[in-house]
Amino acid sequence: MEIQELNDLSPLRVFDDSLGGGLGRGNLGVLVSRHGVGKTACLVHLATDKLLRSEHVIHVSFSGNVEHVINWYKEVFREVSNGRSLDDAASVYNNILSNRVVMNFSQENVTIDKVLSSLETLIKHGSFKADAILFDGYKLTVATEDDVKKIKQFALDMNLEVWFSVSPVRADVVYDKYGVPNTMMKYVNLIDVLIGLIYNEERDKVIMTIVKSPNSAFEKPMGVNLDPKTMLISK
Amino acid sequence: MADLQHMRNIGISAHIDSGKTTLTERILYYCNKIHEIHEVRGKDGVGATMDSMELERERGITIASAATNVTWKDTEINIIDTPGHVDFTIEVERSLRVLDGAVLVLCSVAGVQSQSITVDRQMKRYHVPRIAFVNKCDRTGANPYRVQKQLVEKLGLNAVLLQIPIGLEDKLEGVVDLITMKALYFDGGESMDQMREAEIPAELLAEAQAKREIMLDSVSMCSDELMEAMLEDTVTEDLLRTAIRKATIALELVPVLMGSAYKNKGIQALLNGVLSYLPNPGEVTNKALDLDNNEKEVILPSDENLPPVVLAFKLEDGQYGQLTYIRVYQGKIKKGDELYNTRSHKKFRVGRLIRMHAADMEDLNEAGCGEIAALFGIECASGDTFCDPKFNYSLSSMFVPTPVISLAIKPVDKKAADNMGKALNRFTKEDPTFRSFVDPESNQTIIQGMGELHLEVYVERMKREYKAEVEIGQPEVAYREAITQRADFNYTHKKQTGGSGQYARVAGYIEPLPDPVEGEEVKEYIFTDEIKGGSIPTEYIPSCDKGFQMAIKKGSQVGFPVLGIRCVVNDGAWHPVDSSDQAFQTAALNAFREAFEKAKPVILEPIMKVEVVAPTEFQGSLFASINQRRGIIISSTEDHAMCTVYADVPLSEMFGYSTSLRSLTQGKGEFTMEISKYGRVPMGVSEQLKKDYIEKRKKDQK
Repeated sequence: MEIQELNDLSPLRVFDDSLGGGLGRGNLGVLVSRHGVGKTACLVHLATDKLLRSEHVIHVSFSGNVEHVINWYKEVFREVSNGRSLDDAASVYNNILSNRVVMNFSQENVTIDKVLSSLETLIKHGSFKADAILFDGYKLTVATEDDVKKIKQFALDMNLEVWFSVSPVRADVVYDKYGVPNTMMKYVNLIDVLIGLIYNEERDKVIMTIVKSPNSAFEKPMGVNLDPKTMLISK
Repeated sequence: MADLQHMRNIGISAHIDSGKTTLTERILYYCNKIHEIHEVRGKDGVGATMDSMELERERGITIASAATNVTWKDTEINIIDTPGHVDFTIEVERSLRVLDGAVLVLCSVAGVQSQSITVDRQMKRYHVPRIAFVNKCDRTGANPYRVQKQLVEKLGLNAVLLQIPIGLEDKLEGVVDLITMKALYFDGGESMDQMREAEIPAELLAEAQAKREIMLDSVSMCSDELMEAMLEDTVTEDLLRTAIRKATIALELVPVLMGSAYKNKGIQALLNGVLSYLPNPGEVTNKALDLDNNEKEVILPSDENLPPVVLAFKLEDGQYGQLTYIRVYQGKIKKGDELYNTRSHKKFRVGRLIRMHAADMEDLNEAGCGEIAALFGIECASGDTFCDPKFNYSLSSMFVPTPVISLAIKPVDKKAADNMGKALNRFTKEDPTFRSFVDPESNQTIIQGMGELHLEVYVERMKREYKAEVEIGQPEVAYREAITQRADFNYTHKKQTGGSGQYARVAGYIEPLPDPVEGEEVKEYIFTDEIKGGSIPTEYIPSCDKGFQMAIKKGSQVGFPVLGIRCVVNDGAWHPVDSSDQAFQTAALNAFREAFEKAKPVILEPIMKVEVVAPTEFQGSLFASINQRRGIIISSTEDHAMCTVYADVPLSEMFGYSTSLRSLTQGKGEFTMEISKYGRVPMGVSEQLKKDYIEKRKKDQK
């Protein structure tokens, strides 16, 4: 199968449709759930889909090991390309690699100003025309309102999409039926899209629900969910 | 004869500038091999004892792995000082092959760096048990705990702290030994540098106990005995040491020790650690390949009474003549013994047998099992196996990477030309990653190696050691050629010039092989015979294969070998009188050239995996410098004040990068690189390369 066809058939098209055509530049999107539900995989799948459509992405991580992130990309790409028997997968992978940069901050409590200035440096001095930035494991639930506003401004200035994967830091949070923790609610007005992920035992799927989006005031199911085996977004 | 129990063969390897040579120097000092300490870049101009080559002293780097023998507490330790620069990795690999254990030196500030990762990967390949030594704990920003965490996270090692520091940075006083629960200070004795045991300072006691618990937990995961003893609360020092030793040798655990070589702290404890946790030659299984029995693996027991098997792992042309460093794996060798070189199939007698100390030597009558010694005047190449004439064993071949860079050299006069020949002959024997040949087209002597510095060092050595003054050309990258699509060929080779003619027709196609999946070897060439009905007789099929192989040696775009290609013949024609082996070879060669042009050929260039480290304020300049060099930034990590950028950059763009990096970062940045893969050269660049190639050919033909 060719890339074009693979992209057309991708479950991510359904994902975008249910958001009324994707997140859109200048907007902030959040994937939220408990730990270990598969947010990182989901985020990497989002990024891989963008890469396959020739977009440039920056993956921001806060772990000690960049290798792990890179392995996630390898794994997700393999699942996606094997599932659709993509033509010449190895060279496609090598080509899309040049459109991805992993930016890692291993130091604890790095300020958002620092992160944004490094991103700006990369985009300007590194001539890397990013279309989307993915924050993996950013502690949004403890960020201040100001921090989130700065990120929003950055997304507008640079004209790019920003996605977050978020898990609550504290142990005593309460989750609603969509998997959204109560600590998240105070940010709802600052972000544009909020998607909750929760594991449903009966269906053996991770259910994805749009809790907030610009064109709908009510919660609605996404039409896609996360397969717990492959950890990929699927129809 | 030394008892195997009391022998260790160890290596010391690490990232450049982590202080290996200083550490080795201190070990020599404490083992009473030298009487005073000279710094690597000391002001006294004597230099460190291990860096015996003049050039090494000048540059403050260690090139050749000098083997040295010391004694610590009745145990003989053979130390191989290994180079840290990535261009000289072959030296590291060779020394690892003969080691039973290693000390991985890490800088307490910089932590696990790219070179540490490379070295660690090599150690894994050769199953070398290791101890980690966190050096430079006296430096500003030192943090051994962070280094231990990195060993776990970045290298995936089960690194366990056996010590904690007493004070850090300029307040470093000593370490707490978590096994004996004693504080170790290094200010005892007359010279104020001997080890002194004392009680743990009160303010550190709680922390030491907590860290000891963590250490016990990790070690007990590898040892049931210790687990039981912990439950019964009968843990003894000996039991603990035995458990750590077993786990270390089984590669399940890496003990972490610390100190500062420069400040003489922690060295004695490290030596004790080498004795306690690294294996003796008898505890390591060594294997050889039996060449008479289809390369079947045979185990070499460390038994002195068996016939000898010896590996020559390093050649050196010193002031005393040719020296061959050897390791005895089985049996023992005596002066006058007859040995058989299984590569050259030659027999020789053991002449002078010596043991090397950093700069002087000691004569031996025999070398026993597990020992490292050196022979004089033996004609061989490094990596050769010598054994009893009864055997035909070869110690497994060592992994040799292919050179990525070449340089044309021209001697200045007749005398230099003679000397240059001698030097090249010697260097290519010493170092398998260094090659030299004469280009038949330009008649120039070309040397090839692993990087700019690698070749530079050899050019310097030619000048100094062989008085061969040479002019050097521009360094050249080892390009490759490839095709991107299938193309058919149908070529008839016909010649009728009196006498017997030549006739052959070959038809078929060439196609690119799919890109290798990561980690897989690049396949260079596959030949497929799809002839049906005998349109080319079987006897001429190998001729076609040969013809193609000749053709791929030199692609038609820039004259470099063609990679990743499949040649298929499916039709042809022959003539009972005029067809010959030669005719089919020529036909295949020309058929290939014809099809190659149609197959949209491209040029490939070596892409280097580059790691650049500099203070964060230079991040923008780093990004820009990589971007200007057609590099792709893979990742960037910020850790406190430092920023590390990993990128894939074409080798051709990396020439002179060290100079520009220095000026970009006010001398605070450093970088390392190694070959990662071959990648396509972009259009603009490849047009230029083709033009240059055509011009060069014209010039050479004149």
